[in-house]
Amino acid sequence: MLMQQLLNGVVVGSVYALFALGFTLLFGVNHIMNMAHGSVFMWGAFAGLYAVTMLDAPIYVALLIGMLAGGLVSVALDVFAFRPLRRRNAPEFSAIVSSIGADLVLLAIAQKVSNTAVMRFPFDAFPVVVYTVFGLRIQLLQLVIIGLVVAMVFGLVWYLYRTSFGQRIRSVAYSEQTSRLLGINPGPVNMQVFLISGALAGMAGVLIGLVFNSVHFAMGEPLLLRAFVIIILGGLGSIPGALIAGLAIGIVQTLAVAYVSSGVAEAVVFVALFIVILVKPTGLFGQSTAAMRIQRA
Amino acid sequence: MTATLVLEEVARHFGGVPAVDKVSLQVPAGQITGLIGPNGAGKTTVVNLITGLLHLSSGKVLLDGRDVSREEAPDLARAGVARTFQNIRLVADASVLENVVAGFHRHEKAGLWANLLGLPSARAEARQMNERAMALLERFGMAALAEHRSGGLSYGHQRRIEMMRALATEPRLLLLDEPVAGMNDAEAESLAGIFRSVAASGVAVLLIEHNMRFVMSLCSQLYVLASGRLIAEGLPEAVGRDPKVVEAYLGA
Amino acid sequence: MMNFFYTYQSLFDHILVYALLAMSQYVVLRAGVFSLGTAGFAALGAYGCALLITKAGWPPFAAIVAGTVLGTVASALLAFPLSRLRGVFQAVATLALVQIVLSATQNWVSVTNGALGVNGIPKVAGTGVLLSVVVVVVLLLVAMGRYSVGRAMDVIREDETVAVSLGISVPYYHRIAFILSGLLAGLGGALQATSSYAITPGEFGFGMLVATLAMVVLGGRTSVWGALVGAAILTTLPELFRVFADYRNVVQGILLMLVIVYLPRGVADTVIAMLRDRRLRRRTVRLPADAVASGAASVGAAPVSSSIDAGVHA
Repeated sequence: MLMQQLLNGVVVGSVYALFALGFTLLFGVNHIMNMAHGSVFMWGAFAGLYAVTMLDAPIYVALLIGMLAGGLVSVALDVFAFRPLRRRNAPEFSAIVSSIGADLVLLAIAQKVSNTAVMRFPFDAFPVVVYTVFGLRIQLLQLVIIGLVVAMVFGLVWYLYRTSFGQRIRSVAYSEQTSRLLGINPGPVNMQVFLISGALAGMAGVLIGLVFNSVHFAMGEPLLLRAFVIIILGGLGSIPGALIAGLAIGIVQTLAVAYVSSGVAEAVVFVALFIVILVKPTGLFGQSTAAMRIQRA
Repeated sequence: MTATLVLEEVARHFGGVPAVDKVSLQVPAGQITGLIGPNGAGKTTVVNLITGLLHLSSGKVLLDGRDVSREEAPDLARAGVARTFQNIRLVADASVLENVVAGFHRHEKAGLWANLLGLPSARAEARQMNERAMALLERFGMAALAEHRSGGLSYGHQRRIEMMRALATEPRLLLLDEPVAGMNDAEAESLAGIFRSVAASGVAVLLIEHNMRFVMSLCSQLYVLASGRLIAEGLPEAVGRDPKVVEAYLGA
Repeated sequence: MMNFFYTYQSLFDHILVYALLAMSQYVVLRAGVFSLGTAGFAALGAYGCALLITKAGWPPFAAIVAGTVLGTVASALLAFPLSRLRGVFQAVATLALVQIVLSATQNWVSVTNGALGVNGIPKVAGTGVLLSVVVVVVLLLVAMGRYSVGRAMDVIREDETVAVSLGISVPYYHRIAFILSGLLAGLGGALQATSSYAITPGEFGFGMLVATLAMVVLGGRTSVWGALVGAAILTTLPELFRVFADYRNVVQGILLMLVIVYLPRGVADTVIAMLRDRRLRRRTVRLPADAVASGAASVGAAPVSSSIDAGVHA
């Protein structure tokens, strides 16, 4: 039924938005496309999973562990893959290559450790409670996910706009040079941004693992590609853009899978990406960055 | 005869803030015209407007009487507008000769396929360009450094390479953006000699500089820019004594 | 004994095919086009060729040409919109392309046989054919690199603003690089199909994308030799050291990270630069008087310094 699928789409879309938020934050502040972000997500999912299966942790603890793992892996990425390049004033190309390399390493390790198996959260990890409202079946899990995402978004916006840390982040995002002149040290700012974006990705990992009932080493790649679509559609560095585009992609994808086929759903997502990049690379909400095109400004 | 370059009330705003405000000037062929002013006056913005790297907010740019205000940078370059950059922009890993030869691009005649396949016409043209580049190197006293890696050479040498590259395009209009910044008087003077000979060969030269003394002996006409506006223009001695100019430099 | 020879011959063939693919990746990177689409065009070339032979009964060499043409036409169509983009956007767009092609080969089962791939492709591209093709391509690319096209690409790659101010049309050269890349990838894919009896979609996915990128990053992107050296090293290493084969991905990943930080110009380009410097130092006994005077008098370093720096611009 349409409403049911729409609901599913909103749930999936909100988690996509969460993932894309971290991704777009990184781009907005550091101007890099972190190609390893999908693996951060995946490691968060595994961390949450192992917390439940090996430590018998309750699900909310697993969620926190997933966020922590995501944040740590993300910071490690910064230290090993990006910081050395920043120090050398390397061009954009180098950062992308380095993150691809890091992604490979993270993927390979996860593959080895998990033995390429597709794992699942234990059946009782999250209470299976279903409400029936106006003929719609709403799972408690879905409500919790939406609630968590909303909470995270509010938290992020509050952090960025109401704290001095957030102010520094926004300042560096606007101009690293000026921020330096104002005495803001970009080092801690970068680390915070990687930490936050990694935590969001890690949480998204656990949530997606629960929603789709599967955790495996390759789960990050399709998500990364969707994140590209989302942030380019919504505008690089734009928070409302990431949210709206995330929901849109989630809904479109869910509907396509339900009514057509999953293969077509994949294709639709990528063709959409193609079209958006070619027609309006700055997306719906982003401003054109002069750095992106050496044309007349 | 109209000057090679004419700016008519050229302006450029960035979000309401005028970086350049109603600037009008003329750069005739065969002379060196100076555009001076304190740091941040908008001199490089003017150069970027002339060369097409920035849109004009209003006003007109005329090249040999033709309105080129809307043209894109590569087209302007191909029309004979050459420039040097304030911060040196060379291909660091390429040799001096290679960097200079890049300037001959707009004169290349051999077709795409000839170049892709390495046909004799392409080879002959490449040889020709190498010879012409070497002639430039000799003129600038750097023939012995032809094969050296540009990035490893001294600042003074790199500035000359930029100059040679700009001259290789055989421009009608040459824009020099602070070409002698950081050089001592002896070096600056040797470059001044080259500027004079370039102008004498019929090129219109616009010299953007910060260094008043250097500019005095070299320019036939001076324009002074401060906070995006022209505050004085005329013969160098007169401009040098203009109290507004003195104040702009001291106040800056 | 013959087994030994045969094993190494197939390795050599493998190196040759990957050399073509690496050269496809090199061409775009040299011009500053951040395309990761080689794997996608290779897939088009391979499947185009393989299907024409197995399903339409085409003669093999005609099919190889057709596969190459398919790769070229696809890249030509995409070159126009792509030349309006820069950097990351080109990367993402071409990545999406690879995904789209991969999806198509995996899911369009009626045509491509899905994940099972296409089998029974006659092996017409033996070592001799591969070697000749590679040699011809290398000669062409060396020529391209030496004359105006290569020079323009170098300027565009290093500093687009300078290129524009010299009258170089950046989109034009981006397009040329992209189309050449598509041609070489299509050719490489078709030859891969006709030298290995069978192809599967998985061969042309993320793995190939990363491998070709790693080869050019390792070898260097400013000269053809970079692509060749990179292809040779990365294809041989897993054969020589079993441990590399098992942990191929980790090794490639770490290699990418280390090389891009500490040796960003790549092995071959750095060696070429070193040799050039050594030759110059031996030749330069004395510089002419005024060059020394002006050089010593101005602010800055001594006239000739080592070019072995991992930095980018001066």
